[in-house]
Amino acid sequence: MTDLLLADIQGPEIDYAGLSPLFALAGGTVIVLMAALFRGPFVQRTLVPALTLTSLGAAVGLTIWQWETGDLEPIVENALAVDTLALGAGLIFYAAAALTVVISLRDEAVRSAGAGEYFALLLASVTGMVVFASAENLITLFVGIELLSIPLYALCAAEVRRAASLEAGLKYLIIGSLGSATLLYGLAMIYGATGATDYGAIATALDDTVGLDDPLLLIGIALAATGLAFKASVAPFHQWSPDVYQGAPTPITAFMATATKAAAFVAILRLFDHALGLEQLNWGPALAALAAVTIVIGNVGALMQRSLKRLLAWSGVAQAGYLLAGVVVGTELGLKATYFYLAAYLFMNVAAFAVVVARERVSETGDDLKSFEGLGQASPLLAWPMTIAMLGLAGIPATAGFIGKFYLIDAAVDGEYAWLGVLIVVGSMISLAYYLRVVATMWMGGIEVELPSGRKVRPVGGWSPEADARAQPEVTGVAILCAAATIFFGIVPSPLFDLARDVGTSLSHLL
Amino acid sequence: MTIHLSIVLFLPLAGAVVGAFLPAARSHWGVLAGSVGTALYAIVLAFDFDRGADGLQYVTDDTWISELGIHWSLGVDGLNVWLILLTALLWVGAIVYGWRAERFRTRQRPALFWFHVALAETAVLGAFMAQDLAVFVFFFDLMLVPFFFLIGQWGEENRVPATIKMMIYTLVGSLLMLAGAVALGVLSTPEGGHISFALADLQQNTLGEGTQQWIFLLFAAAFLVKAPVFPLHGWMPDAYRAAPLPVLVVFSAIVSKVGVYGFLRIVLPILPDASVHFQDLMIAFAVVSILYGSVIAFAQDDTRLVVGYSSIAQLGFILLGIFSLDPKGSQGAVMQMVNHGLVAAGLFFAIAALARRSGGSELLSRMGGIAFRAPALAALLLILAFATLAMPGTANFVGELLILFGAFEDEFTWGLIAAIGVVLASVYMIRFFIRAMHNEPGEGVQSREACALELGVIAPVVAVIVALGVYPQVILDGSEKGAEQAGAAVEQVQQPEVSAIR
Amino acid sequence: MSPADYGWLVLGFPLLGTLVLAFGWRRLPGRSAGWIGSASILASFISALGALQQLQDRPEEERHIASSLFDYADTFGVSVDLAILVDPLSVLMMLVVSGVSFLIHLYSVAYMAGDRGYVRFFAYLNYFVFSMLLLVLAGNFVLLIVGWAFVGAASYLLISFWYRRETATRAGIKAFVMNVIGDVGLVIGAFLLFDGTGALDYGGVFENAHLMSNGQVTAACLCLLVGAFAKSAQIPLHTWLPDAMEGPTPVSALIHAATMVTAGVYLIARTHPLFELAPTAADVAAILGTLTLVVAASIALVVTDLKRVIAYSTMSQIGYMVLGVSAFAYGAGMFHLMTHAFFKALLFMGAGSVIAGMGGVQSLDRMGGFRRAMPFTFVTFTIGALALAGFPLTAGFFSKDEIIAFTLNRGGLYTVLGVIAYVAAFVTAFYAFRMVFRVFFGEPVDEARELERGHLAHHDPANPMTGEPEDTDVGFPGPEHHIAEREWPMKAAMAPLALLSIIGGIVGIPGVSETLEHFLEPAFEGSDYLDTAPSDSDKTLGLVIGGVISLAGIALAWFLYLVRSATTLRLRDYQLRRVHDFLAHKWYFDELYDAAFVRPMAAAGRYGRTVVESVFVQDVIIGGATSVVRAGSSFARGLQTGYLRSYAALLVTGVAGLALYFLITSS
Repeated sequence: MTDLLLADIQGPEIDYAGLSPLFALAGGTVIVLMAALFRGPFVQRTLVPALTLTSLGAAVGLTIWQWETGDLEPIVENALAVDTLALGAGLIFYAAAALTVVISLRDEAVRSAGAGEYFALLLASVTGMVVFASAENLITLFVGIELLSIPLYALCAAEVRRAASLEAGLKYLIIGSLGSATLLYGLAMIYGATGATDYGAIATALDDTVGLDDPLLLIGIALAATGLAFKASVAPFHQWSPDVYQGAPTPITAFMATATKAAAFVAILRLFDHALGLEQLNWGPALAALAAVTIVIGNVGALMQRSLKRLLAWSGVAQAGYLLAGVVVGTELGLKATYFYLAAYLFMNVAAFAVVVARERVSETGDDLKSFEGLGQASPLLAWPMTIAMLGLAGIPATAGFIGKFYLIDAAVDGEYAWLGVLIVVGSMISLAYYLRVVATMWMGGIEVELPSGRKVRPVGGWSPEADARAQPEVTGVAILCAAATIFFGIVPSPLFDLARDVGTSLSHLL
Repeated sequence: MTIHLSIVLFLPLAGAVVGAFLPAARSHWGVLAGSVGTALYAIVLAFDFDRGADGLQYVTDDTWISELGIHWSLGVDGLNVWLILLTALLWVGAIVYGWRAERFRTRQRPALFWFHVALAETAVLGAFMAQDLAVFVFFFDLMLVPFFFLIGQWGEENRVPATIKMMIYTLVGSLLMLAGAVALGVLSTPEGGHISFALADLQQNTLGEGTQQWIFLLFAAAFLVKAPVFPLHGWMPDAYRAAPLPVLVVFSAIVSKVGVYGFLRIVLPILPDASVHFQDLMIAFAVVSILYGSVIAFAQDDTRLVVGYSSIAQLGFILLGIFSLDPKGSQGAVMQMVNHGLVAAGLFFAIAALARRSGGSELLSRMGGIAFRAPALAALLLILAFATLAMPGTANFVGELLILFGAFEDEFTWGLIAAIGVVLASVYMIRFFIRAMHNEPGEGVQSREACALELGVIAPVVAVIVALGVYPQVILDGSEKGAEQAGAAVEQVQQPEVSAIR
Repeated sequence: MSPADYGWLVLGFPLLGTLVLAFGWRRLPGRSAGWIGSASILASFISALGALQQLQDRPEEERHIASSLFDYADTFGVSVDLAILVDPLSVLMMLVVSGVSFLIHLYSVAYMAGDRGYVRFFAYLNYFVFSMLLLVLAGNFVLLIVGWAFVGAASYLLISFWYRRETATRAGIKAFVMNVIGDVGLVIGAFLLFDGTGALDYGGVFENAHLMSNGQVTAACLCLLVGAFAKSAQIPLHTWLPDAMEGPTPVSALIHAATMVTAGVYLIARTHPLFELAPTAADVAAILGTLTLVVAASIALVVTDLKRVIAYSTMSQIGYMVLGVSAFAYGAGMFHLMTHAFFKALLFMGAGSVIAGMGGVQSLDRMGGFRRAMPFTFVTFTIGALALAGFPLTAGFFSKDEIIAFTLNRGGLYTVLGVIAYVAAFVTAFYAFRMVFRVFFGEPVDEARELERGHLAHHDPANPMTGEPEDTDVGFPGPEHHIAEREWPMKAAMAPLALLSIIGGIVGIPGVSETLEHFLEPAFEGSDYLDTAPSDSDKTLGLVIGGVISLAGIALAWFLYLVRSATTLRLRDYQLRRVHDFLAHKWYFDELYDAAFVRPMAAAGRYGRTVVESVFVQDVIIGGATSVVRAGSSFARGLQTGYLRSYAALLVTGVAGLALYFLITSS
């Protein structure tokens, strides 16, 4: 009897190899939590981060093992894709997470939240991102977004003794759930319209049964777009990001700015290019309009910001606008360009945030522009990465940012969105105003003072001997590493291009 | 003989990197070595260059970014050979001056200063040599970064706003050009063909007239701002006032040419229809700049700005020559680029010398009577002034003559108006000379003869100017083929049947 | 050696001299620089003689020798060689230029002694001679323009030679700019010719000139006239010449009397085939020339600055030449050019000597009675004056009256011009002797008495124009003054000129000797010149009339300045007050130009610098863009209240908008 019943229930067949990176992360999360139960500086300071990095490393390894180009069949009943897009996105998450771990090492947040919790949450969030990015099914999509968001809410508030941090967490939680709710509505409506939850089925449904201008479907799309745009901090759904970025512990801000954005864009790419590919004529212009608004709002918003974190948040909004151009065109070229830019963006942003971390720890003026005055003189090892990051974000040649923008404009023009390409450069023009301001603050102006050590420097805001880069080698290291990568990929971009090419193969039906 | 342009291009940067590892006080040796190497190599190139040959020489062409169809493609032809030589030589002069002149001895972080100087040279050379649109854009934009730092960190008072203004203003143009360039590459890719930014490929398949026109405007924005041309010169006065002199020498002499050079190298061959379509607009820009620049230069008290506005006028002439869309005009333009490079450099060196005799002031009202005890210096400045106002007998005259002849061909009226500029030039340059050198010495003026350093940088420039005045043909020979090719496409547009016969 | 080789030598020596002086200026003691400069010019003069001799050996039709050194500018149809053309015309000019220049160099050796800019002076002077010879030898229009501009530059340098005098520098810039206007005229003219004939060398242009439409040729000729008039100080481009007297007196003698200012005449003669194709242009030239000769002569009546009197007389005499060559009397024009070079140079030398005797004072009002103090100067100066006045049998007598004879012979409009020319001749004779009588006759002034006692007067150095005190260092006249009586080089320079001023006419006595005409004929073969020539009888009649007129003029001067000088003053101050003021203000040309060009440009400059730059270029273009962006920025940050409710509100509106959009577009 029972065996008869059992016979009816057929568990989905699971490709464990494909899921292996996920297991690595999930396992890592658990292990880190467990390990953190043991007190003691060694465990807290060294073991836990090491374990975190190990699990990330394992994930990277497994990803490379799984690497296989082409448009693969989703696994687990079409719930998850393990194609190059998912894996490639994964690489970005892992890198971002790993760098975050390193710059968090001596962070106040880790101490106050407890290393175990902090890093476990980080890993959990990464897990969520992987799910989110590889979701081939509306349900998994939603699961993913929640799985990645909830740990982040907590992480934003990790610095429990700092009001700003708590406020950020709370804000993010509320607005975030509002966004998720909108997304959920949207997904529900799409399901209602098409009667399918997995992307392939939706695509086929759109192909024959469902009319492309079915209002239910369209509203669904609109709501879904909103939910995702919110995560990607696309205007006019960007407003949480400046506040949250500023409030959250800086390493977490860096993580959100890079990984979350990447995850959101990959999810958008999947949903719109795959499931809703046929609707491109409808959503293309709409997203293009959003992109335009985002570029303008983001760039003008960043002007005259004195807080570096806020400034980077606004610039992040603007960059989201650029990235959206790659999605709008709905072509393979667009997909590749977007991925390339996400990768480049990771390096440039982390470099910037790492320097912010280094500065705000020693300067009493925190992340205010003042903390960076004369940095070029005081500690060039920090000033150079910041400079390169800024120039990169501005799209100056010899940085990955230039190539990335080039690629995006290429895609935009190629997809008959030339005006969007022009808008991207217009945005960059405005952006120069605030990026250069930072650079100028670091290198120019300010007067000389003689240190006890006899070294002549420009007085840095709240200058203290620890302002010296040597005080926190790992942060400086990360900054320099990312800056170097920015320059390297600006001159020898082929490795990234190869990656992007593989990723491009994942959604075969694209032009 | 095979000359590797990449080496010519990167030697200065390599030198700077070496210099960065030397003790700060000695860092200039690295840069000096690098730029001297480049200069020597460039001289060899100029001699070895085959003037009769069509097309590019010493071509370097490797795939750089295949996905974007970008090739690391460099080449030399009549259009850029002299500019490359000029760049290499003037940079050496600027480096020597910047290193010896006492006002720069005490600079902080010399290693950084020299690094930026070298980076600037590499970038400029790259822009001149590039035979791939993307590479050109790459260097065209990169060029600004070192100058941004050089002016911002080592400049005169209120340098920071000035440098930011310059950077943004010029990049506004450059970024528009970036969009235009990408669009050009994408849109001129044949159906199913692989995208390519190589200029040669871009010339093959010309675009529709409409497309050409909006792309033309994007390019024009970049080049006209860079030149600069009235009314897009808003960044110039502040930047010129703020820039440290050795930097200003190369900036005004060379960088301002990259823009107009772009017209000859890229716009005319690739966007011929648009060039014809916008000819009158461009000529209007040119002529207005000539007159406006001259009149303002006449009213300036700051010597830097006298030269600054005079270059607006001079570049107006160059632009006029280019958009006369006549081979004579282009020839004159190429010639005038070299000539103006020379006089601008010489004049700024001279201004430095004057300032050292007028108690540090660069204002005409504080000068006067400096010739009193410095006849040699006065003579040098006089020759520079004569060359600037294109006095017959200088190569500048031949250049302007060709430009005017080109303009007269089918834009006679515009040409006549431009000719007024020649008269105005004589007014402001002689005024400059007299107010600086003649009349009773102003208070605070101590006239003394040019020192070895000043002679060392000014005299060679003047010598070259005189030599070119005696035998201008040497430049014309070199650039003739280049000018011809630059105008070929436009000619086709203008009278298809004629070129069909050829 | 062919004439061309000599031509190159003629060019080479002055250039060499310039370089030697320019680079050796530190190491040349005393007067050595002067001797070097003079030697180079002498060598050049001898080479010119060589060229003459070579040329005369050739049959008439082979007397055009072009020789080219290398391509100067050759691209896309424009083809210019560094080439010279040796023909009778250029040889005559070579001889006059190098010959007179040599004498003036000789004069300067002594006259400029003691000046702190001695070497510089001779370097400039040599450079000028080189440029002038380049101008006359040039084989094509571009090289002509080069020489044209070089002489302008040299003239500028020498006018403001005493560069610490503000008056001198101002005069210099004025002269330079007007000359550049001329250059531009030539450039445009050259283009029109190039456009019409596809050539830039004389031969090519003249051959194909007939291909051009009459309008084209006329336009081209008018452009050439702009150049000619700017250089030859003809109305309306004449105002720089009087101011040019700021330069040292030898400069006035050389550049602003004998050589450079006659370049315009040479140009018209050189391009005569064009002017014959475009008679309208020729008429314009003739009319303006006549106008100039009258206006200048009238001003010379009242000017009290000795050098400026001679300057105006130069303008007026060049007016005669221009009239001559535009009336196709090329031979006569060149003839007068030559004789004028002799006596005008002589007059300036004499004036220089007198001014030195006055210790630097130039005003006629303070001069008088130098007859006994400076006998040599007196004699030579008077000879010059006689020639200028066209006193019978002097050089000026033959040349000037031949011009008028030709003019009258043309008939029509030219009859009127000829008559006017005669009237002016009377005025000329009058003002010429006004100078003589006021300087050398009457009560001797203090300086004269001092000089008779054997002591050369000395005043504290001061600017003769403004009276500002000066020192005698570089940039100001030197401490010494030199008069002909005491300096043999000055004598040696003036004596030959005096001789030539008297007998220089023999090369062109109508009916007797027409050497010059015959010599020049090959240069003008096939031109109307030969058949418009008047008969010898007409010429002789003309000579008689001219002689009478000049005698009358001299007589009137004698009457007014020696017999009834009181009446003269009364005439000036009462009866003819208005006229006098009008003439004293030089017909208000300067004021006119000042109001019409100089002030407007200065105003435009100031307006542009203050208003356009700041308001338009900065505020509108840059400020406009920035303020837009700024506004947007404050708006964007305005939305950033930090309150959740507002964020939520925006989020909802966003969603609504998006949804709405989808519904609208799709349905």
